Amino acid sequence: MEAIIILFLIGIIALFLGIMNQPRISTFLSIAGLILAGIIQYHPLNILSEKYDLLRFGDTGNAFVLLVLIITGFIILTGDKSFQNEKNHVGDFHALLLFSLCGGIILIGYQDIFMFFLGLEILSIPLYVLAGSKKQSNASSEAGVKYFFMGAFATCLLLFGVALTYGATGSFNLVEILVKTQFSQQSAMLFVGLLFILASFLFKVGAAPFHFWVPDVYQGSPTVFMGYMSSVVKIVGVYAFVKFFHIAFVGLHEFWAPLIAILIAISMFLGNLSAMMQSKFKRLMAFSSITNGAYALMAILYPKSVQDSSLWIFMVGYATSVIAMITISMIVNDEEDEISSLKGIGYRNPFLGLVSIVALLSMSGIPPFTGFFGKLMVFSGVWTQYPWLIVLALISSAIGVYVYLRLVMTILSKEDSENQTSLSIHPFQLIVLIGCLLILTFGWVMISCWK
Amino acid sequence: MELLITSLALGIISFFIPRNSIKIFGLFGSFVSLGIACVHLINFNPDSIVTLFEPQSMPFGLTFHMGYDGLGLMMIALTNFIIPIILISNFNNTSTSESPLFHALVFFMQFGLLGVFSAEDGIMFYTFWEFTLIPIFLILYWFGNGTNKILLKFFIYTLVGSLAMLASFIALGLNANSFDYQDLVAATIPMEQACWIFTGIMLAFAVKIPIFPFHTWQPDTYTTAPMSGTMLLSALMLKMALFGMMKWLLPIVPEGLVEMKWIMIGLSVVGLLYAAVMCIKQNDIKRLFAYASISHLGLIAAGIIIFSKDALVGASVQIVNHSLIAVGLFLIAEILESRLKTRELNQMHGNATLAPKFGFWFAIIAFASVSVPFTAGFIGEFTLLKVLTDTNIWIGVISATTLVFGAVYTLRAYQLSMFGAPKLESLEDLRWNELTVFIVISLAILLFGLFPHLISDLVGPSLERFITLFNASTSH
Repeated sequence: MEAIIILFLIGIIALFLGIMNQPRISTFLSIAGLILAGIIQYHPLNILSEKYDLLRFGDTGNAFVLLVLIITGFIILTGDKSFQNEKNHVGDFHALLLFSLCGGIILIGYQDIFMFFLGLEILSIPLYVLAGSKKQSNASSEAGVKYFFMGAFATCLLLFGVALTYGATGSFNLVEILVKTQFSQQSAMLFVGLLFILASFLFKVGAAPFHFWVPDVYQGSPTVFMGYMSSVVKIVGVYAFVKFFHIAFVGLHEFWAPLIAILIAISMFLGNLSAMMQSKFKRLMAFSSITNGAYALMAILYPKSVQDSSLWIFMVGYATSVIAMITISMIVNDEEDEISSLKGIGYRNPFLGLVSIVALLSMSGIPPFTGFFGKLMVFSGVWTQYPWLIVLALISSAIGVYVYLRLVMTILSKEDSENQTSLSIHPFQLIVLIGCLLILTFGWVMISCWK
Repeated sequence: MELLITSLALGIISFFIPRNSIKIFGLFGSFVSLGIACVHLINFNPDSIVTLFEPQSMPFGLTFHMGYDGLGLMMIALTNFIIPIILISNFNNTSTSESPLFHALVFFMQFGLLGVFSAEDGIMFYTFWEFTLIPIFLILYWFGNGTNKILLKFFIYTLVGSLAMLASFIALGLNANSFDYQDLVAATIPMEQACWIFTGIMLAFAVKIPIFPFHTWQPDTYTTAPMSGTMLLSALMLKMALFGMMKWLLPIVPEGLVEMKWIMIGLSVVGLLYAAVMCIKQNDIKRLFAYASISHLGLIAAGIIIFSKDALVGASVQIVNHSLIAVGLFLIAEILESRLKTRELNQMHGNATLAPKFGFWFAIIAFASVSVPFTAGFIGEFTLLKVLTDTNIWIGVISATTLVFGAVYTLRAYQLSMFGAPKLESLEDLRWNELTVFIVISLAILLFGLFPHLISDLVGPSLERFITLFNASTSH
C-alpha cells in the first residue's frame, strides 16, 4: 500500500519537475522512487496495511511487485535517451509510467472486484496517452485511439460481467463469491457474467479471439511503451486473470478450464504462425507477445501456479527478453522498424550480438536460459490434466524457434558487416542490457532462491 | 568438478586471447582438460559411481547432481581426447584456427558434451543436450558455408526431436516425483504411457544418430559445415545419442521396448543398408563419408536395442572406433578439398603418386573404416553382428552385408581419388600436424583393436548395472 502512495507522489513530483524544465532529475527521481517502493513493499511500515483490507500481497504478490518495479526501472532507463529528445515531456512520460505502475500494483494485490476495476483503469488510462505520445506520427495516434476504444469496450464488457456476477452472488469480494458459487445454486446469470469477465480479460492480455488490436497498437506505439505494454501489462494482466479465476470462480472450474485451454491453443498458433510472416520488428514482437501470453495463461489451468514460482519465473524470462530486444531495437533506431535493419549488428558490436542471442534463445525456450525453466515449469504443471495442450505447445515452440532463429541469423549475419557506422549505446541502456543478460543467464539460480 | 569447470573457463578466457596466440592457447588448454580426464581415468574404479557434485535439491523436483560411471567416464575421456585432435587438424585452416571466437565455441561445446555425459538428473541432461546445439549452430553459421535454409533445417529438426524428449522427461518426472536418475530408474511406468514416453525420447536420439527416416538433415549439414564442425558433429555430438540410448532410454523405460523393439531394429537395419547403397552412388567425397557415418551408426543403434552385455560392449568399442575414424575421414576430405578445390570424386585421380605419404595414411584409415582385423572396428562390428545374428539370423545376414558395402564404397573412394593418371603436376604432401593426427588416430585404433579389454573392463560393470535394471523392470 505504501509503495503505491510513494510511486504516486513521485509521479506528481515528476510532473512538476517538467514545469521546472529539469528532465535529468526526473529520471533519477523516478528510479529512486522505484527502489524506495521496492524496499517499502518488503518492509512495510504498517501504518495503513492493518486497517486496510482491500489490498493484500503476501509472498507471491511481493515477488510480482518486485518484478514489475524492476522491469519498469529498466523501461525508464532504456527509454531515457528518447525521452530526452522531447524536452518538454520527460516528466510527463515518467509520471504516466509511474501512475500506470500504481494501477499494476493494485492489480497484483486486489482482494475485491471493486479494487480490481480501479487497478485496471489506473493501469490502462495512462497507457492510452503514452501509446499516442509520438504526436507527429499518424500510426502512433492511430495506436492511441485504437487502444483507447478497444480498452473502453473491454471495460464495458467487464463491468457488465461484474454486474451480472454481483447479481448472482451479491458480493464484490472474491472470497465471498467463491463461497456463494460453491455452496449455493449456480444461476445462469453467473455463467453469463463469467463469460463477459473472461472476454474482457482476454482483451486485456491480448489472447485469441480478442487479439486483433495487439499488432496495430504495438506497431504504432513508441518502442519504449510497446516494451512496457508487452512486459508489465502482460505480467499484471495474466497474474490478475489467474488470481481472479483461481479464487472467485474456482467452483466453476469444470466450465471455464476446457474453454480457456482451447483458446490458449488457438492463440499460440495464431501468434507464432503470424510472426513467421512479419518483416517489421515491432509487429513480430506483438505476435510473439500473443504467443507468450498464451503460454503464460496456461498457469490458469492448474492450481498452485501462483503459489509455486512457475508463472513468476516464466514472466521473468519473457519480460527480460522483451526488454533486451526493445533496447537493441532502440539502439539501432530505425525509423521504418524493418527487421533487416538489425542485420549484422552482431558483427558491428559483439556485445549486442551476445545479448540478442541470449534473449531470443531464452524466448524460444532453449536451455540453459531462464525462459526454458519458466516454460518447463508451466508446461509440467499443466501436463497431468491437459497433455494434448502440452503437445500442441511444444509444436508451437518449434515454430517459435524458427521465428526467433531467423531473427538471430539476421542479427549475426556477416553480409552487412561493411556497414561500420558505430552504434551508440547510452550508458543507461548498457546497464539495462547487462542486467537483462545476468537475469537471463542465471535464471536457474533464481529458482533456487525462491523459497 | 574441475572436469567441467576447466572447459567453461577456457571458453570464457579464449575471448580475451589475441588472434596470433589463440592457436597455442587452444591446444594447451585442450591438453590440460585431457590431462584432467587422464587423472580421473587412473583413479577410477570401474565398479564405482563417482559423484562430481553432491545432489543439491532445487524446488520443483530438480536436483543439481553430476557424476559418472564407467560408460560416462569413457565418453568424457573420448571427448577430451578428440577435442585436441580436432584443434590440431584444424591448424591449417586460418579462418578458424586464428579466431578466438571459434576456440571459445569449441570449448563451450566441450563443456556441454561433458555435462551430457556426467548429468545425473533428467532435466540437467536435457539442458546440456540442448546447450550443445548453440555452439555447434554458431560454428556452422559463422565458419561454414551453409545456406540459412540448411542451418534452419538442422536446428529445427534436432530441436523438434529434443522437444519430444522434453515432453517425455516431464511425464517421467511427474510419475517419479523427481528427475534424479536413480528415482527415474526406480519408478515404474504404466504400460500405456511407456510406449509414448519411449517414442518421445527415441525421437530425439533417432534424429541425432540419425536413424533412417530422420537422417535428411545430416548430409547437407555435413557437406556445408567447416571441417571442425563436421568432426564435432560426427565424432562427438552423435555419440551423445548412443550414450543416451544406453544410459537414459533403455534402463528407464524398458517397458516401451516390448512393442518398439522390432520397429527400431528394422529401421536401423534399413537405414544402414540404405546409407550404404547411397554411399556407392556418391560422387561428393564429404557426402559419401556422411552417408558412411549413417551406415556405421545404424549398426551400433541396432546393437544397443538388443541390450545384452556383448551388444553393449561391442557398441562401446565401436563408438570409440567410429569417433576416431570420423575425425580421420573428414580430415582426408578436407585435405582433398582444400588442395584440389573440388569435392567431386571423378575430378580427382592419381594423387597417390603425387603425395605418397597422404596415400599411405588414407589407406590406413580406409582399412580401419572397413574393419579389417587388428583394428578396433573389427572387434566392434563383429561383436555387434554376432549379437544381431543370435537374435535373428536374417537380421544378422542383412546387417552383415554392410561390411561388403563398406569395403566397396570406401575402396572405391580410395581408388577414384588416389589411383590413375595424375591430374595435377604437383600436390602438397601431408603437413606435420596432419601427419600427427593420422599417426595418433591409427595408433589408437590399433591399440583398441589389439587390447579391446581396455574398453570393456572400464565400461563392463556399468553396462551390467544397466542390464540388471533393464531385466528387473521387464520381468514384472
